[in-house]
Amino acid sequence: MVVTERFRLHTGYSLLSAVLGSLLLKAEAYGVPIRLQSAVDNRLCLVCHAKSTLTKRLPTGKVVSLYVNEADYQRSVHAERLCTDCHVDIVELPHEKEIELVNCSRCHYVGTVSPPDLKKYAEYRESIHKVALDRGNHRAPACQDCHGYHNILPPTDPDSQINRRNIPQTCGKCHLAIYSDYQEGIHGRLLRAGNSDVPVCTDCHGEHNIQSPQDPNSRVYATQVPQTCASCHAAEKIMRKYGIKVDKYETYRESYHGVVNQYGGITVANCASCHQAHRILPASDPASSVNKHNLPRTCGQCHPGANANFARGKMHVRVTKEEARLLYYVRLGFRMLTIGVMAALIGHIFLDLFSRWRERRKGRRRQG
Amino acid sequence: MNDQRRKAKPEAEMPLSQQATEELARTLNALWEEQEIRAEEREMAAQVFQEVWEELVADLSSKAQKAFPRKLAARRRQQQRERQRAQRRKPKEEVERFSLLFRVQHIMLFSSCIILILTGLPLKFPNSTWAGWYFRLTGGVQVSGAIHRVGAVGLIGVGLFHLFYITCLPEGRREFRQLFPRLKDFQDVLRNVLYFFGWAKEGARFGRFSYIEKFDYWAVYWGMVIMIGSGLIMWAEELAMQFLPKFALDIAHEAHSDEALLATLAIIIWHFYNVHLNPDHFPMSWTWWTGKISLEEMRRKHPLEYEEMLRERAQREAADE
Repeated sequence: MVVTERFRLHTGYSLLSAVLGSLLLKAEAYGVPIRLQSAVDNRLCLVCHAKSTLTKRLPTGKVVSLYVNEADYQRSVHAERLCTDCHVDIVELPHEKEIELVNCSRCHYVGTVSPPDLKKYAEYRESIHKVALDRGNHRAPACQDCHGYHNILPPTDPDSQINRRNIPQTCGKCHLAIYSDYQEGIHGRLLRAGNSDVPVCTDCHGEHNIQSPQDPNSRVYATQVPQTCASCHAAEKIMRKYGIKVDKYETYRESYHGVVNQYGGITVANCASCHQAHRILPASDPASSVNKHNLPRTCGQCHPGANANFARGKMHVRVTKEEARLLYYVRLGFRMLTIGVMAALIGHIFLDLFSRWRERRKGRRRQG
Repeated sequence: MNDQRRKAKPEAEMPLSQQATEELARTLNALWEEQEIRAEEREMAAQVFQEVWEELVADLSSKAQKAFPRKLAARRRQQQRERQRAQRRKPKEEVERFSLLFRVQHIMLFSSCIILILTGLPLKFPNSTWAGWYFRLTGGVQVSGAIHRVGAVGLIGVGLFHLFYITCLPEGRREFRQLFPRLKDFQDVLRNVLYFFGWAKEGARFGRFSYIEKFDYWAVYWGMVIMIGSGLIMWAEELAMQFLPKFALDIAHEAHSDEALLATLAIIIWHFYNVHLNPDHFPMSWTWWTGKISLEEMRRKHPLEYEEMLRERAQREAADE
């Protein structure tokens, strides 16, 4: 019903729009606002908002552009929508009051029928971004900041702000230092080269449910980091392509750092402590934090006075003859010793019991 | 055996007490009179009476055959138990085996070891369910580590004290000399093994310390050197790594973990058998607390020391006279 009526309005108004446009300009000139009785053709809005120079000054002194790129809007998922579908507080032209930020949850709420009904709307409400926004941080992102304003496209579209390849830029609008670290790191480099395996921000941090790294529920909380990295780095299928060993997670978990981390210790090193969180580089890179020459500094973050000795020996040690010969023989030696000693001692115990049993039987026979 | 007994005591001659026989006779006479037996029936009645009598005797004797050996054995057991109880109540002559200093060292050693094993073993098997329970219960690996260090201080303390004991105190020097392995210990092992298999009539005869005790002592010696050495390296890792490369720390870690398992197994299997589970001592030998050993046990377990003690006593008495 609504759609067909709107359609009718569309076609009916298309002829009139030019006339209305001039009327509107006249009205503005006379300072008489036009009360809008029903939905308004987008073209009426574009009379003003198609001008790329249209700006306004916020009370804070910041100048914001009010330009709407019509071509972008026509491509977006909301092309069929009217401006006033979202900007519901526009009831008169020209606007008398400040126009508020569009509230997406008017349509995108859990349980809705026409737009996709996803848990994501609810997840966003729990996220650190929404919490910060509610606490009055106006720089925290609402839906539009990531998804775009008039240029909203599905994530599969390469031009979408939330397409995998564009996510770092989208997050980097606010998280600039992290963005540049990520771009320098191997993941960022490979992403720019068109690799689709590497993680972007959302793969580790989550999308709508993004949490602070200090939140124990976050996937990047100290005790969760190893599993998060392992979701790719312990996957043979992915790692085989790049010749990266998949035992790094396992060897970490066997190490003291890994055991303490597993039981909730957050002061020990996790993957990101040594490899860095965003500027991750292969150990062969001289700029890498896990390059042999940089290890003293990296280890020194936690172990004061770390020197070159920290780099003498393997880090993710797998105790095999090829990888850690000395360690392997120490373990083998102790294993042999343990088995040998235990066999001798247990043998002695059973022989002792046997001879006791024999003596007792002999004694009983003598008695009988 | 039963057959022999049956031959020795035929059924007809099953002994009955005087009183029982009289009682039986009286009952039968009464029966006889009650039946009002006519003169011509006398012979037949006498025959029936004879049959009844024989049945009764056979019945009694079969019951006695069953009950007698059982009751006799039970009575014998009871007597033996009473004798043992009486023996236990009788104050045994005891001599001091371990001095107070010796016992204090042992108590310190095992208390630190229990702490160290309980807090250390879960780290060796971090992925086991019980380690998970343990760490969640105590509040994580770092808490456990702190308690482990308390145990470590105890172990290092008793180690240092023992070094002082065996070098500076006459008592300690004497004990250490006795604990030193000798050729005889290896011969004792061989002899005992032969005895265990039944190829020698007697087992080894021990002096003050048997090879079993010497093994315990030297195993702890070896364990202390490895555990304290590697433990200190890991405790002061930043200091240690001023001098040692990372792989040396890995080796220290490996040795610490492997030797810990070996020591734990040795204590639980070997030491627990010899002083707890062993039929002579079950559930526990109290010598560790009282320091005392009975002369009887000393004669049995440490015959050479016992004989020497007797000789010394005799000499002293002779000198006194």
